[in-house]
Amino acid sequence: MENMKFDKNTFGKRLRTMLSVDFRRMFTMPFLYIMVGICLVMPILILVMTTMMDGSVSVNPQTGAETVIEGFDNVWQIIGTVSNDSTASTEAVAMDMSITAMCNINMLYFIIAVLVCVFVSADFRSGYAKNLFTVRAKKSDYIISKTLVCFVGGTMMILAFLIGAMLGGAISGLPFEMIGFGTGELVMCILSKVVLVSVFVPIYLLMSVIAKQKSWMSILLSMMVGMFLFMMIPMLTPLNATIMNVVLCLLGGVLLSVGMGAISQLTLKKKDIL
Amino acid sequence: MNAIEIKGLTKNFGQKQALKGLDMTVPVGAIYGFIGENGSGKSTTEKIICGLLHQTDGSVKIFGREQNDADVRAKMGVLIEAPGCFPNYSVWNNMMLQAANLGITNAEQEVVKVLKMVRMEGAASNKYKNCSLGMKQRIGIAMALLGNPRLLVLDEPINGLDADGMRIMREVLCDLAENYGVTIIISSHILGELEKIATHYGIVRGGKMMAEMTAHELEDSCRTYIALQTKDMNRAKMLLGCKYSRVEEDEARYIRVYDEAAPEEIVSYLYKEGIVVSELSTDKIGLEEYYIDLMKEGRQ
Repeated sequence: MENMKFDKNTFGKRLRTMLSVDFRRMFTMPFLYIMVGICLVMPILILVMTTMMDGSVSVNPQTGAETVIEGFDNVWQIIGTVSNDSTASTEAVAMDMSITAMCNINMLYFIIAVLVCVFVSADFRSGYAKNLFTVRAKKSDYIISKTLVCFVGGTMMILAFLIGAMLGGAISGLPFEMIGFGTGELVMCILSKVVLVSVFVPIYLLMSVIAKQKSWMSILLSMMVGMFLFMMIPMLTPLNATIMNVVLCLLGGVLLSVGMGAISQLTLKKKDIL
Repeated sequence: MNAIEIKGLTKNFGQKQALKGLDMTVPVGAIYGFIGENGSGKSTTEKIICGLLHQTDGSVKIFGREQNDADVRAKMGVLIEAPGCFPNYSVWNNMMLQAANLGITNAEQEVVKVLKMVRMEGAASNKYKNCSLGMKQRIGIAMALLGNPRLLVLDEPINGLDADGMRIMREVLCDLAENYGVTIIISSHILGELEKIATHYGIVRGGKMMAEMTAHELEDSCRTYIALQTKDMNRAKMLLGCKYSRVEEDEARYIRVYDEAAPEEIVSYLYKEGIVVSELSTDKIGLEEYYIDLMKEGRQ
């Protein structure tokens, strides 16, 4: 009894087991599939409905002012916009408040917040956090694993949206022609949008860890904080993106994952779990 | 070596001080009965041991290592308040998830083994949310037993268990402690049940440890008493009350004389006063009465 030995619980082993728990949970969670389904259907509805309403005029009965509803000119508009190098046009892209600029793939970064917050808060709401943190003295494996798994969940949503956009474009008869960008740039754009998920996930994770079982509070906090970065999305991920955009997003993702991850870890260390 | 060594543990919840410098020592292989009133600090102490709450002050050592040692903590099983299960998952899926959490390689076999131990193998496909309170407790215990833990922390594990469930629980815990050297900390208000298995006791009150003792020490410190019955109970009680310092009537309407008097002395004394003793026995007070006495002394 004097020399009680315990197996070495290395970081690798801890992370592996935590990832196994989180992936198992994520892929058996009906909520993930509901969210992916929503992401698939959403662009179809947006493209079909805006195409149907394209050019129609709505009249304000009080002022008599007429507003022409503008739909999408081509399918790729729902994925992003073409950015020019001049500062003025970059600002114009960032400040564009039209329906085509707002109802696009970028709004997914808000919806991902819901997935992350619901996923993390379920640990605390169900009491499973007791099982997790009793056998996990180090909180880093929890944070890293949650970041990676939520990134995968977010990526699935982005990809579902892309598939939905293709289907929606085909159904509504919108052109697929690429104006001002090529296939390679489109691939880079999609890649940078996927990588950009890693910028948002650590922020949402931190909010979830702070709010614990109160998912409504974590969603609210996440959306509030995410709002500050929202305007940057079109600038970081234009349709004519290059490898630099991907690298920038990756850099941002890594920096935020490390920074926010450290704060999340500290929050778990300092705050009571229950 | 001690499995748990706690020194000067303090925990504040805002202005409220839940633990006020609690000391606790649990030897390896002990079944430690952790007793105390509601709000005395039992659950808070257990949660701190498990790393679910952070202490304001004081030190906790587990198997001689720091509380946050990842190797030691990986070998802990816990059931605090309710089992941590996902309500929409089946019992089996919840168990498999915990097996994954512990990195158990032969997960299916292990899960079947622990479910059999708590007689829950037939309910594996049930959704957790549809299980009764007793079933949930058994699942919680099974979950705590996964991965061959060296230290089990169980908070009110027998709440909601039926007689058979309690017996199974008793057998499982005794087997783990005796044959596998597992250290068990178990808090419960069902003292009669705890008395059957505990090898050590810790009695906590108002966030402080009032007494720590082994089961043998408890037995030694439990007073013997003489219980008797007569036809004229009221007069007998009055007479004995005048002669002896502590005389009480219990729930079964027996007069208890706690002083170290010989039974013959009591019988002859009452006989002289014209009272015939119809029934007499000597006995020792149990854990429950000892605990109640201690609490009374504490209040005074």
